[in-house]
Amino acid sequence: MKKVPEPAAAGGGSSKMHNTLVYIRQHWQLYVLFMLPAFLLTIIFRYIPMGGIAIAFTEYNPIRGIFGSEWVGFEHFQRFLSSPDFMRYLMNTLKLSVFGLLWGFPAPILLAFLLNRIMSAKTKQKIQLVLYMPNFISVIVLCGIVRILLSPTGLVNSLLGTSTNFMTMPSAFRTIYIASGIWQGAGWASIIYTAALSNASKELKEAAVIDGANIIQQIKAVEWPAIKDTVLIQFIMSVGNIMSVGFEKAYALQTDLNLNASEIISTYVYKKGLLDGDYGFSTAVGLFNTVINVILLISMNALVKKMNEGKGI
Amino acid sequence: MCPESESMATVQLKNIKKVYPFISGEQKKNKKKADEPEKKKVNLQITDEGVVAVQAFDLDIADKEFIVLVGPSGCGKSTTLRMVAGLEEISGGQLIIDGKVMNDVAPKDRDIAMVFQNYALYPHMTVYENMAFSLKLRKEPKDVIDKKVREAAEILDITQYLERKPKALSGGQRQRVAIGRAIVRDPKVMLMDEPLSNLDAKLRNEMRAEIIKLRQRINTTFMYVTHDQTEAMTLGDRIVIMKDGYIQQIGTPQEVFDHPANLFVAGFIGMPVMNFFDAELKRDGKKYFVEVGGYRTELDAEKEARLAAHDVQSQPITLGVRPEHTDVADAGISAKVEVAEMMGSSVHLHVNAGGRDVIIIVPTIDMKGNYKLGDTVHFTFGGRVAHVFSKETDKNLEF
Repeated sequence: MKKVPEPAAAGGGSSKMHNTLVYIRQHWQLYVLFMLPAFLLTIIFRYIPMGGIAIAFTEYNPIRGIFGSEWVGFEHFQRFLSSPDFMRYLMNTLKLSVFGLLWGFPAPILLAFLLNRIMSAKTKQKIQLVLYMPNFISVIVLCGIVRILLSPTGLVNSLLGTSTNFMTMPSAFRTIYIASGIWQGAGWASIIYTAALSNASKELKEAAVIDGANIIQQIKAVEWPAIKDTVLIQFIMSVGNIMSVGFEKAYALQTDLNLNASEIISTYVYKKGLLDGDYGFSTAVGLFNTVINVILLISMNALVKKMNEGKGI
Repeated sequence: MCPESESMATVQLKNIKKVYPFISGEQKKNKKKADEPEKKKVNLQITDEGVVAVQAFDLDIADKEFIVLVGPSGCGKSTTLRMVAGLEEISGGQLIIDGKVMNDVAPKDRDIAMVFQNYALYPHMTVYENMAFSLKLRKEPKDVIDKKVREAAEILDITQYLERKPKALSGGQRQRVAIGRAIVRDPKVMLMDEPLSNLDAKLRNEMRAEIIKLRQRINTTFMYVTHDQTEAMTLGDRIVIMKDGYIQQIGTPQEVFDHPANLFVAGFIGMPVMNFFDAELKRDGKKYFVEVGGYRTELDAEKEARLAAHDVQSQPITLGVRPEHTDVADAGISAKVEVAEMMGSSVHLHVNAGGRDVIIIVPTIDMKGNYKLGDTVHFTFGGRVAHVFSKETDKNLEF
């Protein structure tokens, strides 16, 4: 029988790589079998649709198709960038994302640290169940709940003894948007950190207790190092999505009176593309959004790698 | 850390008990139904209160004494150590360190240090930072921290690794760092929970010797947990042998080897394990004899005096004789050879004597020829090395 080397045999880096390549070559059929479906799906649903980017450079007419439509080059981009509302949409999008990231990103981490402190497994399970549940509510239902709670006759006003219509206040939009997002997503997002925290050595925690570390110092010395890499990867991914604020929630929480704060690039793209039928222009705006995202992702990854001993994506 | 340290640290454990209460639902599940016939409890450690891990644990540890807790897995030795460390709540009894009751004192305030089996080093810190961590938390001045860390590193010969991270060290080096981290605290009591279990046999032997040397240098009170009786015998001033949460015997290594308190201790201490036989103890005035398989020998005067002091009468007993105290002879108890293991300086002869497996250690120098499978041999033993255990209680009748 032919002896097959282990994929990660002991030895130097180059010999490891060599063994891995030999292993792959000997079992190529297996790799093809597992990778082919994912590869095909990625090509069909991720790469082929990229051809649609060309719409951004045309005066797109669905009857004539991409190649039959008039080629306008960067006209749509120029139109968007020179529009008087461009800066407002961009800033609204950025503010919503950046503040969402600032408030929303640490929330699941803090939640995971707190959950990790609960000793009773049963209590922990019950709390986790309660925390995860909002994630399964659809965005539209969530927005409905928010609208009801914040209406002039809603629960919040009843508790405060006021009759303010929060949904008409541009200054309240971002807080409503971000807070409801945290309420809905923090529990679910904490799963990944809770799982990473389970890797923190129990003995190490006990050693820290004997060393005299308080809870904050224990988190710093034991728990944070256990989840640091996961946090960094999640952070890079989140920064990469900083401009991808989903239009549904912003659109569902939008009212005519809060448009000043709630009109963001994605709601604008939706309105222009689907409601006004200006496909070329909305694709150009969407592409602009994506390019900014890619630039942010690459720069943040480079920054994190520099700060974290070369570890990044 | 310094040999001239003046701190006194006696440790007293008075009737210490540890019960892990049933978690909700578990008790209900275990509760027998009213109409169900009462079942005999197989595991005595499970009570209505919960699972009893340690009970009736009484031990006085003298200042600078090296105590080893030894026993099989689940006997409660680590739980006891963790109670001393403050990592487990004490369900009953009193823990007194240096004259102060410590039951409810936080681990950091007990003036103890602990070395863990898996080293428990902070992976993102260098060796220096690991060793300095507890001192930093105590807000000691930087120069004091530096002095203490470098002194400990010198003692443990790890000065050259101070800037490395734990992942760049071997198992033995990591364990040295773990010990270093403990000794910089200059603790009154040093607790070690199976610190050598993760090392290979060769390194374990080396580290054992290192711990003996370390003990001479740092001169503090040690509590050491192990399941390895060789470690227990070589390191401890006294050994505490535990089983099912109870102390079986406390004594010096020589005492527990020469006078095991019961069958468990007799079987646990010593390698290869003690041979046991169904035998008869015969009393003839002040003289005592043991009879097994037609062989009869008189016990030595010291044993006879102890048995007489307890007025032990003739009775069926379990006789224990260590393999190294069993001699091949021309006459005596007859047995058939099953396996002969050549160990170099001796041969471990596995024989069958009346259905019992018996091991005889024969020094190679005394061998008259090779032993073959099925050979008949005879063996004897002297009255000084025969241990007599009660058939009813498994206790050594000398006690």
